[in-house]
Amino acid sequence: MLNRRDLLRAAAAAGALGTVWPLSAGLSPAEALAAALDLGASYDPAPFTLGVGSGDPLPDSVILWTRLAPEPLAFEQPLPEIVEVEWVVSTDSGMRRRVACGTVAASNLLGHSVHVPVHGLLPGRTYYYQFRALGKRSRVGRTRTAPVGPVSRVRFATANCQAFHDGFYAAHRGIARENLDFVVHLGDYIYEHGQVGGAHVRDHEGPAVLSLADYRRRHALYKGDPSLRDAHAAHPFFLTWDDHEVVNDYSGSEGSAPFVKRRAAAYQAWYEHLPIRSGSALEPQIHRRRQWGSLLDLTVLDLRQYRSAQNLPGGTILGAVQKKWLLDGISSSREAWQVWINSIMLSQLARPGGGYYFTDQWDGFLAERREVLGHVAASEMKDLVVLTGDWHSAFVDDIRPDFDDLSSPVIGTEFTAHSVTSGAYSPEWNAVNGPVMGAANPHLKYFEGNRYGYDVYEVTPRRFTTHMRVIGDRRDAASPVTTLTTFHVDRGKAGSYEDPATVGSPAQYRRP
Amino acid sequence: MLRYDAGQGYPGPGDPGPAQRGASFFGGGDTPLSTLRQNLTLPRRASQFEVSAWLGGYASQQDGARLSVEFLDSGGTPRGLVVLGPVTAEERSGRTGLHERSARGTVPPGSRTAVVTLQLTRSGGGTSNDGYADNISFTVGSR
Repeated sequence: MLNRRDLLRAAAAAGALGTVWPLSAGLSPAEALAAALDLGASYDPAPFTLGVGSGDPLPDSVILWTRLAPEPLAFEQPLPEIVEVEWVVSTDSGMRRRVACGTVAASNLLGHSVHVPVHGLLPGRTYYYQFRALGKRSRVGRTRTAPVGPVSRVRFATANCQAFHDGFYAAHRGIARENLDFVVHLGDYIYEHGQVGGAHVRDHEGPAVLSLADYRRRHALYKGDPSLRDAHAAHPFFLTWDDHEVVNDYSGSEGSAPFVKRRAAAYQAWYEHLPIRSGSALEPQIHRRRQWGSLLDLTVLDLRQYRSAQNLPGGTILGAVQKKWLLDGISSSREAWQVWINSIMLSQLARPGGGYYFTDQWDGFLAERREVLGHVAASEMKDLVVLTGDWHSAFVDDIRPDFDDLSSPVIGTEFTAHSVTSGAYSPEWNAVNGPVMGAANPHLKYFEGNRYGYDVYEVTPRRFTTHMRVIGDRRDAASPVTTLTTFHVDRGKAGSYEDPATVGSPAQYRRP
Repeated sequence: MLRYDAGQGYPGPGDPGPAQRGASFFGGGDTPLSTLRQNLTLPRRASQFEVSAWLGGYASQQDGARLSVEFLDSGGTPRGLVVLGPVTAEERSGRTGLHERSARGTVPPGSRTAVVTLQLTRSGGGTSNDGYADNISFTVGSR
């Protein structure tokens, strides 16, 4: 009997991915689900098919999330307009010691999603939660509140860029099994384009997504990877987004009617499928500042919703309101690790001979970057660590207020993490261009682009440590996780250094 | 506000639009984004809603108007969202005018506030924001 992986490989080899998918081609919802199951998607028991999750932990509160989707890949759910959902929070995984409970109406007007802001919790505690609806119980999720006061250690992970067709989520399987306080998703949670074909282990369910029904189905497809659901059920998430939650390289300030319509559908579906604390599902404000006791301040940035076009003299990646908020936060920052959640690369990545690799990143917003980083330097803000996704490869950079001036001080470190699955450049490209990028960017300390995974951070009052976790093979849903290398930043001393124990690990560039 | 007799290519009495269109309609002005917002307190009883608006734009340009109603509970958490428009140039067949969009349904239980937002957007460059709207209606009644 074929196991799922063998079936997928056989299907891909026979070209069956192209004949079974798209799920929309005349298949009933049940047939579509069967096809999805055959090709590697699976779901929790209905109606909680998409799992459960929690997010935005505060000292006394978390957001609990689920969405009722008995037929996750159907355009219409077989549900009444309103379904009552019960929720319970307990201090034990058996759900016996209840500390909070209630009911909430899941409405068709938000895809029967549920967002419960639970208050009155104790800081720094682990809790368990569960939903009940239509006579069924969801799986039990685990979450954790933020601590207050002195904290000796925090351990968290980031994930980014999880193209469904590019592989299985062995990285999320690893995240689910890590002992973590929380997870940060850095964006590109879904991809908007149509099927890719070829020899991929799986594929999107249909053409490019445009409408609310399309985006709902795409999110439901991605939640069909059980490891993603396991990660959400295991840890609370902080989330930002990048471009592919809507469309490649978009600027949120674009005002054309087709784009405005598409963006609204994408934002609503994103909200419906994730544990977001926001006063709007249409235009959620996701930039926020959170404290993890006395140890760490998280500054979550939104680098899409308010940005202008790239390469404009007065261009902005933050928008006026968020920029003022960020600058004010820099001015008033306390003595703690200052961690910026930054979807797209902050550090300069210049091409040899002039120009930049990608001006969709901060390189396309030069004046604003100079202003922000200049303000960090002028304010003498210490202990800045920037955590970044998007690039599908790992980088470590020194951050300088002027990247072209080597006499300007190092004011922080940027860790750009490997992607969960989204394809990187070829090993040949990486081997050639790692040293090229290093030569053209004296602040670049490390580059590795041949692997996939996630980062785990261990933070104490004395040291910020980044472990690059990598998987062996994206085509294997149970691929084992190993640590490729580890970098440290010492408190009060800007700049990173690689752990001597892993300094000989494979990389395509390492500054001598 | 623009008048239907303004001329200069703006929607006029003979262009697509509401039958009872009165004298004026909303236009986006000279900014890329114009927003009008009204917060309404909802009844605590089980309710139905109806929302409708005439939304449009200019010729083949993609300036547009969007009307949204977001239902929030007492803590400000979204409980429901309805979005009408924007009406694209293709949906207007490239002709200046306004077209009706509407929705109805059940007010999500627990909703305490409805945030009604009209957003008029300009596409690309130029000066005039030619998102247009008229006859906006949002009603809530008993089931």
